[in-house]
Amino acid sequence: MGFKSGGLERKSKASSQIPSSSMADIAFLLLIFFMVTTVFQKDRKREIEWVQAEESKKIDEKQKDILNVWVETNGAVYINDALRAMEDVSAVVRPLRAESASLVVSIRADQNVPYRYVDGLQKELVAAGALRVVFAAELEQNITRERR
Amino acid sequence: MAVLGNKKSRISDEIPSSSMADIAFLLLIFFLVTTTFPKDKGLAIVLPEQAKEQEVSQKNVLHILVNPAGTVTIRRGESEQEQTVSPGEVEQIWRQDVAQNPNLIAAVKTHPDAPYRFMVDVLDALQSAAATRISLQILE
Repeated sequence: MGFKSGGLERKSKASSQIPSSSMADIAFLLLIFFMVTTVFQKDRKREIEWVQAEESKKIDEKQKDILNVWVETNGAVYINDALRAMEDVSAVVRPLRAESASLVVSIRADQNVPYRYVDGLQKELVAAGALRVVFAAELEQNITRERR
Repeated sequence: MAVLGNKKSRISDEIPSSSMADIAFLLLIFFLVTTTFPKDKGLAIVLPEQAKEQEVSQKNVLHILVNPAGTVTIRRGESEQEQTVSPGEVEQIWRQDVAQNPNLIAAVKTHPDAPYRFMVDVLDALQSAAATRISLQILE
């Protein structure tokens, strides 16, 4: 507001500071960019009861290389939000397997699924060449285990 | 400039915009740090290739039969002796047996009607015992 200096100091008219008012805009743009590009869970959550395992380890694979296969209690198989017949699983998985060599199939089966469905699924995956499989499980806490 | 009633103009009537950048960056850093991508957890296993069945000597096989009720029947190789245990005890059995025979293979045979969780319990026990040669089959 106050121009205390005389007319001789012309240089002081151009601000010597980096304009900080636009910094906020830049930061907000970055913030919005990251918020928009962040992709969470690809497919819808299904109502399954997870199995528990103490030895469950994190899958060290990129999210895009993980294929989630859901198996519901009645044996219904869902891949990418679509209900698939058990016989079609290998046909669905094969092109995905061809796309990425390091495909990991995460079997997310309800804990009460009769094993015949899980076995059938495994056979289909073998037929499709998807050999790397993870039985998705929640980490079993020491408190919840009663068997040891 | 120095008019008496004009005191207020000395205080800036704008919201200080220089600190806005700091606030925004703090928010940005906060979200960057707290964003955790949900990593899936599970028991990893590599399935055998198709049409690549291996003949294994019976004495190297530990049959682990998972029953629909959740009990586990252990049968060693060719011997007819059966032992019924709980899934958690498989870990101990595997540790004992693999110490005697390092070539041992765990053949987990699950009954078609057995709930999936019992198979996972057994697999969990085997992986706790650091078993790597595991064969998952269905009981026929």
